[in-house]
Amino acid sequence: MPVNTGLADISNDFLLVAVAVYALAMLAYACDFAFGRKAVPAVRKARVPALAGAKSGAGAGLDADGVDAADGAVGADGSEGAAGTAGPGAGAGPALGLRPAPPGLWVRIAVALTAVGLAAHLTGVVTRGLSVHRLPWGDMYEFVTALTCVAVAFFLAAMIRYRAYYMGLFVMVAVVIVLGLAETVIYTPAGPLVPALQSYWLAIHVTAMTLATGVFFVAAVIGITYLFVDRHARRLAAGRPTGADGILRRLPGPEALDRLAYRTVVFGFPIWTFGVMAGAIWADRAWGSYWSWDPTETWAFITWVVYACFLHARATAGWRGRRASGIQLAGFGCVLFNVLVISLLVPGLHSYAGLS
Amino acid sequence: MTRLRVGSQPEPEATATGFDHDAADREALNLDSVAQGDLGQDGPGRGGAGQASAGQASTGREGAGRDGARREGGGQEGGGQEGGGAAATAPAGARLGVTGWLRWFWRQLTSMRTALILLFLLAAGSVPGSLLPQEGINPAAVDQYYTSHPLLARILGGLSLFNVFGAPWFAAVYLLLFTSLVGCVLPRTLRLAGSARQPPPRAPRYISRLPFAVSYATTLAPEAALGSAAAMLSGKRFRVRSGPGWVAAEKGYLREVGNLLFHIALLGLLVSIGMGGLFGYKANRLLVTGTSFSNTVTALDEFHPGRLVSPGDLQPFTVSLDKFSASYVTSGPEIGQPAAFNAAVQYTGSPQGAVHRDTLSVNHPLVVDGVRVFLIGHGFAPTFRVTDGAGKVVFSGSVPFIPVETSGLTSEGAVKVPDADPKQLGFVGVFLPSAEDLHGQLVSVFPTPQNPVVSLVAYAGNLGMNSGSPQSVYTLDTAGLRRLPVAPQPLAVGQSMKLPDGLGTVTYTGYQQWISLAITYDPGQMPALVSGIVVLGGLLLSFMVRRRRVFVRARPGEAGGSVVDFGGLTRTDAAGGFEDEFSGLATEISTLHQGRLDGDPGPPDGE
Ligand code: HEM
Repeated sequence: MPVNTGLADISNDFLLVAVAVYALAMLAYACDFAFGRKAVPAVRKARVPALAGAKSGAGAGLDADGVDAADGAVGADGSEGAAGTAGPGAGAGPALGLRPAPPGLWVRIAVALTAVGLAAHLTGVVTRGLSVHRLPWGDMYEFVTALTCVAVAFFLAAMIRYRAYYMGLFVMVAVVIVLGLAETVIYTPAGPLVPALQSYWLAIHVTAMTLATGVFFVAAVIGITYLFVDRHARRLAAGRPTGADGILRRLPGPEALDRLAYRTVVFGFPIWTFGVMAGAIWADRAWGSYWSWDPTETWAFITWVVYACFLHARATAGWRGRRASGIQLAGFGCVLFNVLVISLLVPGLHSYAGLS
Repeated sequence: MTRLRVGSQPEPEATATGFDHDAADREALNLDSVAQGDLGQDGPGRGGAGQASAGQASTGREGAGRDGARREGGGQEGGGQEGGGAAATAPAGARLGVTGWLRWFWRQLTSMRTALILLFLLAAGSVPGSLLPQEGINPAAVDQYYTSHPLLARILGGLSLFNVFGAPWFAAVYLLLFTSLVGCVLPRTLRLAGSARQPPPRAPRYISRLPFAVSYATTLAPEAALGSAAAMLSGKRFRVRSGPGWVAAEKGYLREVGNLLFHIALLGLLVSIGMGGLFGYKANRLLVTGTSFSNTVTALDEFHPGRLVSPGDLQPFTVSLDKFSASYVTSGPEIGQPAAFNAAVQYTGSPQGAVHRDTLSVNHPLVVDGVRVFLIGHGFAPTFRVTDGAGKVVFSGSVPFIPVETSGLTSEGAVKVPDADPKQLGFVGVFLPSAEDLHGQLVSVFPTPQNPVVSLVAYAGNLGMNSGSPQSVYTLDTAGLRRLPVAPQPLAVGQSMKLPDGLGTVTYTGYQQWISLAITYDPGQMPALVSGIVVLGGLLLSFMVRRRRVFVRARPGEAGGSVVDFGGLTRTDAAGGFEDEFSGLATEISTLHQGRLDGDPGPPDGE
């Protein structure tokens, strides 16, 4: 079937709109850092009686493992006040006063813009698929637009669930850069796909890999943020001067970021595992051998092993934190290497890039 | 520090050590007795060190309590096994003796850190396998590497870097890793089996120090409060244990089950792959319409047996090709792209067996006797009749030509006529399925035979077929041949070309189609699939289930009734959500007790 150029144009328009709206969302997240109400300067000793064990002043006490509670209260949205006082008054409410305050105005604007951008982004991806009558992740350009779409969708859900609004700025910066580059540097007009790439296991495989890549993308952004925050925290602890203090001190502690990154990887890792398996099933059906160490396969395997390293590192004394973060970023480095170098430069069975 | 850090750091860390003096508390907090027994076993009884690391390594809130306790627990356990601090100083040479060293080595090998390093090596070792040409995938590229960089290639070859995934050092890494895995998984499985029947540990003395804790006053007497709490918790399928003044409950054993299943299934995957490598084989065979072959080593064009496969092990089936058809997109931008390939075959499971029919297509292999036969390619085999100088028909049959491009399926091949007299004859040919004259050049414009034309270059002399060295059937070795002075001209079906000097005539009589088949036998395929599914299932289980303990303590209140402490902890709450669960439980329990969570229960214990 021929390419529906009308739809393809609509897709391009929507994707441009998405970049623009994401950029606005990015600004709104930045405004929250700049103008949002400040977090309380000192830990209030107001012990929330209900939360006897909690060592916190912000009322989000029950938080040994709780990015949720803690980060909501600390969050860059600056509306700590409500969270801090939630304790005594809130009674045995559903969450023991754990319910943090609603996010501040800038955050609400930013989240709304993110959602609008995502809607445009999604429309762009879907119309692109409709215009070429196939799944819209068939060449490099489509792959990048789809994976950033997954990244934003996943991040939006995770941000709301874990109240990690403070990550919005960083994720949006990354998304705007990557999607902007996709639109300008590697833009490929809509076109049909080589028929060899037609089998539903292949579709499942590529879809899963795209999803996992989107999630790992978010994890990598969190990992990088972690490294900055961790350095900042260590400098503070050592009493040395710190840069970018304005932003960094309004982020939650490195542990919360570490945990958020971990949970993100935990979300992506099974999808990646499944994607690799689906690829093996497809290879088995198409070539009679489920694994042939083709370069792309090999890098999918290396990536998987590196992320397994990360999961182990987080359970190994002395490896948690910075080193684990480094491993996580190395894992994403492998993903990038596979997409950018291997599939473009090294010949193999995966004729995927579509840039040639 | 101005940053507001909720549930701030220093105290929980103090908390972690705060538990040190109480063995029972330590047990309660060591949610890792099953999963993490190996942690802290970094050396022969780094028992003492375990505690040090509890302090240092718990860098955060999450580290609080749980982590600290975990390492401690590990250390404690290690200490227990090694006889306390006796062996605490590294492998102290002579004192340790051979078994001591072996034990030390085994512990090193099965420690989490070693697993981490071996995983790294596995990843790093795979890298050259993707960047350098590999013998198993592209032997020609390896040969080319040897000619273009002779010295470097010899060094790389010596390190098996052209065959990474079959290299001894690569095998060493993954075998060590899997030994480590066995050493890690077996004891953990045993411990899990043991703990499955054990009640949860006693409640810690200071519940308020748990990572999650609330406290409230109720009018109920302590016994009544504990009783109803225990009933509620076991109603929620917690495993409950009661003692004087406390209730302990635990849930989520499936997490460990998932983690163990995952690791065991990884072993299963390795074994499956090994089975394929030892007992499986791969082969290729080109089959012209109207002919047949049987699955024997001599009848196969290419044969790559597994290490333990002997020729007698091959399944004795035969396959014959009745008809092959290919259809292509005939219009639009994808014109000439393949739409469908179908090969109608007959096969028998054994030489005298019943004949079955099947149609092979790209995603539909033939399955005989556990062997799969894939259709992986196709092409044309023009048929020729060659009459030699003596007027005798010395050749009549089809010759498979190999496609050199896909849009028009232009194919090349060689016809060899060793029986011709007075001289052996050879031809190099080009076959054009849909020949068309484009600017004076003949090209094939479509992959189906709409105007099938052959053009031949003729040679005479010695074909060199007796020289002993194997020859490709698709090319002509022209070393002993002389090119005959006859201009190649496109022949249509039925046309002939007369050779000069009375050497004979060649007639292009028509064409057949051929298919190429990939024959694969892999007894590990099914086990690998099953292992893969278990790997994924185990992973999901271990990520979605959290292991958690909650504790209740009730003591008489100052003004009658009682004060209830309710606390909980979890480990590696991968998906998050214990906060919510805990606050839900706390609300439910306090409501049950009609306690008021918002009341002031007074300062918590130990503060
Ligand atoms: C073939 C190599 C291995 C791979 C690919 C691998 C992969 C993984 C993955 C993906 C996880 C996270 C999933 C989960 O928590 O269930 C994990 C966890 C774990 N692995 Fe492995 N593993 C390997 C070998 C080992 C070995 C040799 C050990 C023993 C030293 C080990 C011990 C553990 C433990 C204790 C956990 C739980 C960590 C936690 O609680 O967070 N693994 N492994």
